[in-house]
Amino acid sequence: MNGEYLLQQIENHVRLFFTDAALSLIKAADIRFAHYADAIDIKEYCLIIPIDIDSGIAPQNIYKVPFNDTQLTLWSPLPRPDRPGWRAIPNDNHPLWYINDCQTIIPATNIFKIAWDLLTFREDSELPWRDKHGRFNSPFSPRLDFGLLEIPVFNEAVALMLAACKCLSGAAIPDDNIGGLIAAPVVNLSHDCDVLYGNDFWTQAARFARIFIPSSHGLLSRLSNIRWMAGNTLHPGRYYFNNVIGMINLEKQYGFKSTFYMLNGSGGRYGSRNGLDAIIKIKDFIPDGWETGLHYNYNTYNKSDKLKAQKGELQTALGRLITSGRAHYLRFDHTTSFDRWTQAGIKIDESVGYSKHIGYRCGLAGCFQPYDNKAGKAYDIFEAPLAIMDTTLVDQYGDDSIRHFESMLKHLSCIGGAMNLVFHPGTFFNPEMPRMLGIYHKILMTCRDTKSRCLTADDMLKILTKRG
Amino acid sequence: MNNLEIRLIQPEESPAANDFYNGIYGKKRSLEQWQWEFAENTYDTDQILYAIVKDGSRIVGTQAFIPIQMIDPNGIFWTAKSEETLVDPNYRGQKLFDKMYSLLFEEAEKRGFAYVWGFTPAEKAFKKLGFEMPGKTSQMLFPMQYRALDKLMAKDREAERDVPKSMLKHLSYKLAFRISIPLSGLKLSMKASRKNDIEIRTIDSPPQAADDLCRRFIKKYGGVTIYRDGEYLKWRIFDNPYVKANMVGAFHDNTLLGWAAFSLGDDGVGYLVDILTASDLGNDPEIVQRLLIEAVIRTRDMGALALRGWSVNNHPFDKLVLNAARKIGFWHFDKGHTVVLYETKAGKSGVHRHTFDDFQITRIYTEGIMG
Repeated sequence: MNGEYLLQQIENHVRLFFTDAALSLIKAADIRFAHYADAIDIKEYCLIIPIDIDSGIAPQNIYKVPFNDTQLTLWSPLPRPDRPGWRAIPNDNHPLWYINDCQTIIPATNIFKIAWDLLTFREDSELPWRDKHGRFNSPFSPRLDFGLLEIPVFNEAVALMLAACKCLSGAAIPDDNIGGLIAAPVVNLSHDCDVLYGNDFWTQAARFARIFIPSSHGLLSRLSNIRWMAGNTLHPGRYYFNNVIGMINLEKQYGFKSTFYMLNGSGGRYGSRNGLDAIIKIKDFIPDGWETGLHYNYNTYNKSDKLKAQKGELQTALGRLITSGRAHYLRFDHTTSFDRWTQAGIKIDESVGYSKHIGYRCGLAGCFQPYDNKAGKAYDIFEAPLAIMDTTLVDQYGDDSIRHFESMLKHLSCIGGAMNLVFHPGTFFNPEMPRMLGIYHKILMTCRDTKSRCLTADDMLKILTKRG
Repeated sequence: MNNLEIRLIQPEESPAANDFYNGIYGKKRSLEQWQWEFAENTYDTDQILYAIVKDGSRIVGTQAFIPIQMIDPNGIFWTAKSEETLVDPNYRGQKLFDKMYSLLFEEAEKRGFAYVWGFTPAEKAFKKLGFEMPGKTSQMLFPMQYRALDKLMAKDREAERDVPKSMLKHLSYKLAFRISIPLSGLKLSMKASRKNDIEIRTIDSPPQAADDLCRRFIKKYGGVTIYRDGEYLKWRIFDNPYVKANMVGAFHDNTLLGWAAFSLGDDGVGYLVDILTASDLGNDPEIVQRLLIEAVIRTRDMGALALRGWSVNNHPFDKLVLNAARKIGFWHFDKGHTVVLYETKAGKSGVHRHTFDDFQITRIYTEGIMG
């Protein structure tokens, strides 16, 4: 575990999601990284993060503790120091901290090591499974079985650290109140523009095939698809191109904005479906303040030259430099992708998420610099891991989707962080997908009602690279 | 209960007043939203015209006047919108409503407000206070999705308006609504394809020419309407903490000829918040039509179930809008809230005296949270 790297990510996180006072607290505090055996013998006014205890990747001994009007979910507790003078805070059964008579503080669980493991893709490294698109998807994560995919471990660790820093700045013991230190939760809205016209060959062919697929299983044919095929033949932009404009106008209503990731390059079933003309046309409808980024084509996965060519083409079409991106189908390899994206000039990426479940793939709701194991330092790229994909949320939670989204956002409002989400134009308002109707509107209303701030990936990048 | 105190609110009491409202209605209005509605209007005063009844430390009644500027051929003058009429059910029958009004009427007279006005389903109570009920709002509706009908009926039930009770009537409503959607769509597509030299632009901040447009409007159509200068539009639309309505302007040679504001409500229904034109080119009907088409298309692309607007009286511009709306596929229903109007002594002795049909009214009259 590289303490210097971890502390830098923590500082970046605090800069984005907490107040200036919180950043000063973190900077002023004596925070050390040490072996557990050494940590329990220290008798100084400091916070010590143990670096050497390996809890494995399967969560054990999960427990919840009330904290700052929410609940923290902790697992893999550290042993209580067997030296005199140490006590558990708030209690022995569900401790957050161990503290000794000299105000030396140690976290009561291996939360920082768990956060480190998730930030450095330990699950991807140690588990061999991949889906047909080459992705390490949510069903392979040991956290899924324990319902922990939606626990932002890193955010909870930072919130705990701030409580400890508050104590080091004068309080008697770390308490569970960091209310005055947290800024409003952030929502980072984005849209992958996979399809801008609904009359392309692949979309129409899929509709056509789906007319008959149910009957091959003894079910009624989906004849309604004829309607959508005819509709998009007459009005290609309806429910796709037009939805981009609709989404912008809807976001504007709440003072929000978003990023549109454009898919260009090679065509095909998984590739770009509408060509560059559609992108050139849509750019005139995207107002100042909204961002455009690159949706890395399916075939650019692990192919730098193709990615660079795609980016060059999009930059020429848009007439501006592109610095942000997300991979089509979220195809990503933790050992190679960050290098390739960096080489292509991407400064912030939003690909690291799951397509099968919502949740925090890196245990983080926000933005961080991935760790380059070979170089032993952070990559020169930021990652804003995708937490929520439109259809995934609704597939998973159905009628309860919005309530669930709200509870996740409220949790972030108590511990600090950003909800990174993607909503495709084709699912925003499309009677072909009745279960999705009104969902994005309700998501935006929830963001308004929770007083969320809206920052795009580029906004976060600007804040983090504009160092004082 | 004998020591009830009735007075104007102090700024530090706003959280309690807001909590009282949220408690009675089961809503989650934030303090920021309260502040916007009652304390941040364009009237230049330190005192919020918000009456409260206190029983000890508890607020048990509220009534607000929101100062609003209007314009007529004699100039700009102040009026007040009645809002936040609320008495704790345990304190009803003590004439608290009358007492709060009496206090606020006094304040309105002091400030020379010409009218106090509002929209309400509770006619009786207002009648007793001396309000007139000169008319009702009615609805222009552009149907877009079949699901809209359930929402609209639910709203009618909520507002205790007449809803079809018999199964047959209910079914006939559903059938008529289903037929109306393609009919309206057809009308719209026929009109939307016509080209003209009016340029429609999105307006992202209060237009500097807003004040001029209002003045031109009154000069052209007479009557009286809300004075929508940049400050007013900033307050009601661009700084609105609930929903910042989308605004589009009609331009010719860079001159603002008119605007429309519209939004998607929390219920998924689109609302035509405002529409105003004053063209010297004699093409107002054409401009109104273009603005309405833009409002329909944009709200439809935002996922709206339907687009609703108001038609209220015989003001020439109101009739012009209704006529244009019908041509592009809107339907007109006589369903709405009662308008209540009170002319103060200051108003009666002044130059800003009007009949109901003089008022050009849209949802920008601070109705609800849309504008």
